Amino acid sequence: MNAILRGVASATLALALALAGPAAAQTPPNVLVVGQIAEPASLDPHVSTAANDFRIHVNIYDGLVRNKPGTLEIEPALATDWTISEDGLTYTFSLREGVTFHDGSPFDAETVKFNFDRMLDETHPFYETGPFPLSFNFASVEDVTVVDEMTVEFTLNEPFAPFMSNLASPTGLVVSPAAVEEFGEDYGRHPSGTGPFKFEEWESNARVVVSRNDAYWNGAPSLEAIVFRPITDANTRVAEMLSGGIDVLVETPPDNVATFRQDANFTVHEAVGPHVWYAMLNVKEGPFADKRVRQAVNYAVNKESLVDDVLQGTAEVSAGPIPPAFNWAHNDEVEPYPYDPERARELLAEAGAEGAELTFYVTEGGSGMLDPVPMGTAIQADLAAVGLEVDIETYEWNTFLAEVNPGLEGKADMAEMAWMTSDPDTLPYLTLRTEAWPENGGFNSSYYSNPQVDELLNSARTSTDPDERAELYKEVQAIVHEDAPWLFVANWKQNAVTTANVEGFQLQPDFSLVLRNVSKN
Amino acid sequence: MTAYIIKRLLTAIPVIIGLSVIVFLIMAMIPGDPALAILGSYATPENVERINRDLGLDRPLPEQYLIWITNLLQGDFGRSYILNRPVIDEVLERLGATMILAGTALVLCSIFGILAGVVSAVRQFGWTDRVVTFFVLIGISMPAFWLGLIFILLFAVQWRILPASGMYAVYGGGDLSDLIRHLILPAATLAIVATGVVARLTRAAMLEVLRQDFVRTARAKGLDERAVVYRHALRAALVSIIPVIGVQAGFVLGGSVYIETVFQWPGLGAMLVKAVSTRDLLLVQGGVLVAAALYVLVNLAADVAQAMLDPRLKS
Amino acid sequence: MSVAIAPEIRSTRLTSWQLLMTNRLAAAGLFVLVAILLLAALAPWLPLPNPNITDQPNRLHPPFSPGHLLGTDHLGRDILSRLLWGTRVSILVGLSATAIAAFFGSLIGLVAGYTGGRVDDVMMRLIDMLMAFPYILLALAIVAVLGPGLLNALYAIALVNIPFFARNIRGVTLSIRHREFVDAARLSGKGHTAVLFTEVLPNVLPVIVITMSTTVGWMILETAGLSFLGLGAQPPQADLGSMLGQGRAQLFTAPHVSMIPGLMIFALVMSINLLGDGVRDVLDPRLRSGALNRPMPVTSIEREREQPAERPGAALLEVDGLETGFRSGRSLTLAVKGVSFRLDRGECLGLIGESGSGKSVTALSLLGLVASPPGVIRNGAVYLGGRDVLAQSEQQIIAQRGARVAYVFQDPLTTLHPLYRVADQIAEAITAHNALGASEAHARAVALMETVGIRNARERASAYPHELSGGQRQRIGIAMALANDPDVIVADEPTTALDVTVQARILDLLRTLRRERGLALLLITHDFGVVAQVCDRVAVMKDGEIVEQGDTRAVLDAPRHDYTRRLIACVPELGQGRRFLDNVRPLFAPQRQETEA
Repeated sequence: MNAILRGVASATLALALALAGPAAAQTPPNVLVVGQIAEPASLDPHVSTAANDFRIHVNIYDGLVRNKPGTLEIEPALATDWTISEDGLTYTFSLREGVTFHDGSPFDAETVKFNFDRMLDETHPFYETGPFPLSFNFASVEDVTVVDEMTVEFTLNEPFAPFMSNLASPTGLVVSPAAVEEFGEDYGRHPSGTGPFKFEEWESNARVVVSRNDAYWNGAPSLEAIVFRPITDANTRVAEMLSGGIDVLVETPPDNVATFRQDANFTVHEAVGPHVWYAMLNVKEGPFADKRVRQAVNYAVNKESLVDDVLQGTAEVSAGPIPPAFNWAHNDEVEPYPYDPERARELLAEAGAEGAELTFYVTEGGSGMLDPVPMGTAIQADLAAVGLEVDIETYEWNTFLAEVNPGLEGKADMAEMAWMTSDPDTLPYLTLRTEAWPENGGFNSSYYSNPQVDELLNSARTSTDPDERAELYKEVQAIVHEDAPWLFVANWKQNAVTTANVEGFQLQPDFSLVLRNVSKN
Repeated sequence: MTAYIIKRLLTAIPVIIGLSVIVFLIMAMIPGDPALAILGSYATPENVERINRDLGLDRPLPEQYLIWITNLLQGDFGRSYILNRPVIDEVLERLGATMILAGTALVLCSIFGILAGVVSAVRQFGWTDRVVTFFVLIGISMPAFWLGLIFILLFAVQWRILPASGMYAVYGGGDLSDLIRHLILPAATLAIVATGVVARLTRAAMLEVLRQDFVRTARAKGLDERAVVYRHALRAALVSIIPVIGVQAGFVLGGSVYIETVFQWPGLGAMLVKAVSTRDLLLVQGGVLVAAALYVLVNLAADVAQAMLDPRLKS
Repeated sequence: MSVAIAPEIRSTRLTSWQLLMTNRLAAAGLFVLVAILLLAALAPWLPLPNPNITDQPNRLHPPFSPGHLLGTDHLGRDILSRLLWGTRVSILVGLSATAIAAFFGSLIGLVAGYTGGRVDDVMMRLIDMLMAFPYILLALAIVAVLGPGLLNALYAIALVNIPFFARNIRGVTLSIRHREFVDAARLSGKGHTAVLFTEVLPNVLPVIVITMSTTVGWMILETAGLSFLGLGAQPPQADLGSMLGQGRAQLFTAPHVSMIPGLMIFALVMSINLLGDGVRDVLDPRLRSGALNRPMPVTSIEREREQPAERPGAALLEVDGLETGFRSGRSLTLAVKGVSFRLDRGECLGLIGESGSGKSVTALSLLGLVASPPGVIRNGAVYLGGRDVLAQSEQQIIAQRGARVAYVFQDPLTTLHPLYRVADQIAEAITAHNALGASEAHARAVALMETVGIRNARERASAYPHELSGGQRQRIGIAMALANDPDVIVADEPTTALDVTVQARILDLLRTLRRERGLALLLITHDFGVVAQVCDRVAVMKDGEIVEQGDTRAVLDAPRHDYTRRLIACVPELGQGRRFLDNVRPLFAPQRQETEA
């Protein structure tokens, strides 16, 4: 027996020593390893909906236009320039010459038409390669016409101001028709674009590898290859970063950001983005039907503490429905509600809502939700301090959406929510208009209704003059701030950690991960 | 024997069909649908309806089930709504990973469990027994996911001698030693609990057997203690240990859900958890089906092994 | 085996409590558990901060910070306070889930096991379905259907553990549903439900309780697991699993937040398991009687009196003042009380007595084969060829087993190893004492089988014991005993388990072998008929002592001891009929009164 035990022990030890070898993992030179938060759903940019997938897409594909690095301003990409008709209904694009897809097929006006028809026309032969969840971004497109080989024209059925920013969003990226025709519904696993990196392999649940496109129209990138590695567990992601298994870490858990900041081997990057984290308040029924109660909760919750302590400074206190990242449309005069429990108690007393019982829907996670459970718990505690009794019900993301999207009526008084958008129009248009109540197919699940806001939003959407739009949005912010249909909480500063030898890395306000200018020593 | 195996496989068929009906029903009862997972914040009723129509989820449930089972009989498991690939591809890949992990854990827990059980039975009430029992109980009493976290904290972050997650190194690697390096922590975590169960059972079975008349006969023949314990007692005890290892396989498969989540092991358990939360019905169906079939097969294998060991059961 | 344990003496027997406390691990488990339970129960009265008051600026304080003995969590809440309140919740949930699973699982098991047939089939297939479903996934799905909350998690945990109880209880129910008392109750006109709950249930209950005690810990772990995945307690309520799950986000920056609840779960479950183990040891009658103790290679020999190690000129086998007993708690009950006898070369001595007279224990004591614990040889010597066996080392004693003294046991079905071929078992006896090749040993084994009169020995050699008839099996047993040409064969009731005709043939065989090989035979039996046929001399044992000893004919003709007379009268003669009972009855009448008194 002892002999056997000793044998097993020494064999185990020998094995361990043989395998352990020299310690830390080493990523190869000039190959960037990115720790992703999940396996991509698809490498077809029209099929995907997750920011996580878009981080890969923007490196394989180009759109007609793109956001200028570091901003939300539009700059040319596959289109070299464009004109917009007076009435805002016709957009004409001149396309870049001499661009080819990674599969060798040329880029031209037919290509553009194919891309949009595939998404929008149910009779298109490749519509079946969908579904295309975000195609509603282009729902206002009536027709795409090939003017000549290198000119394409979009006709809209109504003026739609966010059209250009939607074109710059990942849903506007251009895929190779030849590859779609070849692979059909499996195109998402055999992508082909015009971008700085071309697709090499996708090993499920292990990695997606892309390599340098030497023929890139905008100059070949310096990196030889990028490996995207899905690591769903945040701790594991951090552990991989610490143990040297990855070069880039996105969505670092707040508590670990400080650790990386103190370590000279790592660089922490931050960028504000168009993100809003809030708790919608059921305006239709219960205590929150009274504006004073809604304002009271905005006073009662210590938002500074939420962003500084719970989120460890990875977010900023939010004042209204339009995030400061849309700097041209943001109303800097609207200040966040201060933390003032006394004022909250007064308002509650005025409204006769002391000791009200509230049901609060909290999700366990979900896109842009930051740390929803600790946040919800902290809010609950702050509201308890002013005498409001809050019952939290937590749901995983999918169930949460299934409960919240049809409306809170009869179920809950408040619910967490977060949005990342590419245009200031999107969020208020979908969540604050009377026309967007759930029964009308919108996301106004808490039934806010103010005719003035409705009108402002409608005119902003159809205006093509940025200055005019900006004024309208600023007005919306002031009104909504006062009406307080939400508990305004935070705007996320997205973050990423890179190892010190990664250079040229920059986070983009549109939450994409543009790596064409990155190099690694 | 062959007839027996065939009979067992036949009785498994209604179980698996019943299971697939249950999965359909449960998935239908869970609020939410794949469209929500696909659309996230953009899930307007209109968009949801459009996606459901494209996916064929607007049809009545019995019809969906019939379509699924008809396709299944032709070997088509359908396509995952979320992953945009054939269910069978995903499931088989995941199955391979799970079998490597759970299989290793099962082998480890059998070896160490039986070893520990025998040692503590032979040294019953001695200090060896107490020490082994103590450690075995530690294994049984530890939340596996917590143990996994501690392992990562120590081996991957603190000492940096083993990788924290995944199945292969991201770059390079890919060979057997790379796999083993990645396998050590999750397999050990998973095996520790099961080892405890097997060890306790082995100890009890050994003590039972050591009292039996044929062991006294072996002693009366003048065999030395080693032969008595290993050749006679352990051999007989194995007959009752093997089926329990089969049952453990179920627990190891179940427990692998946590471990796969913690260690990012690309296995079936983690896939199923995610598939349930994204309401990826066909993927859940395929995964449960394969997991159940695996469970049935492992138990059958255990029973066959038992029959091989015990000539009395063969007839 | 007819080893009997004499009635124990109550005063020296350990109480259950003392027994539990002698198991140090169980005692430690009990103390830890009691401490945890006390702290958890007293949580509302202890001077603890409110577990739900958040204080973000003071988050993640390490343990032993002022005002926070165990530090604070990610929202600045006091960990100690949350820990104790959370422990309350986790224990309650674990216990309730166990109770629910036990209730429904046992009900299913009872009904399925008792009813049998179709109902059983259908129920077990359903249970199979549950078992084939990866259990955590099932729990996840159930919580997803029912909605969030601790109560729903509890139901999910209970449900996925029903199969475990159902299977266990069904097995036990199956094994007793055709027992006499159940049949009797049914025949007495009781309905099935009544029989199930008044007759079957009480007998299954201990199994249910033991199964519950082993699952509580497991249930607490699983509840923690679900909470860890975020499916348990709703904020701000603390339970151990959700504390661990939420603290996980700070694993690298403030490990104590998740390590402390993890440790608590561990301490709780560990103490429950340690205690449960101990309690089972105490409650299980077999464990308690030592019937599940691991027997040592040689009976423990603790002689109080010195014996000369050699006795020159002794007979082949001489037993002198042998005392063997069984330990129970602190008391030792003697089964053999100073037995002495001798056996010469070629002689056959019959050792006769009723069950419990100590004859088998005497036989087994010769080479230290009495299972120990609890057996102890307290005095006496066994001279084999003039040397005291009991004074020799373990190795020496083992070396003489089968070589100089070989045994033939009573029931050849249980005494042969069921999993080895018979010839291999014989060959093993040979190779234990001779360095011999496998094929040679096999050939010898086959030859031995022929010697003991097994026809087609070559074919039967590869048979397993269960494939042979009772008589053939006993012949294998004898062949095994003959394997090394021993000086003495001890045959312990070699024919008792066989029917009469086979019995006669086996006795014939023994007689022949003795004659041909000059064996000395110690024949243990309760049957004077057998003694009369085979033995030269006889020793009569009663209550651990030899009451009469002498030539077989002389004892048979003129039994001196009353007990001997009674044993002789017990041998029925052909054609005696009812008269036999009439003859025997008066002999035992007084004794029966004694035992009844």
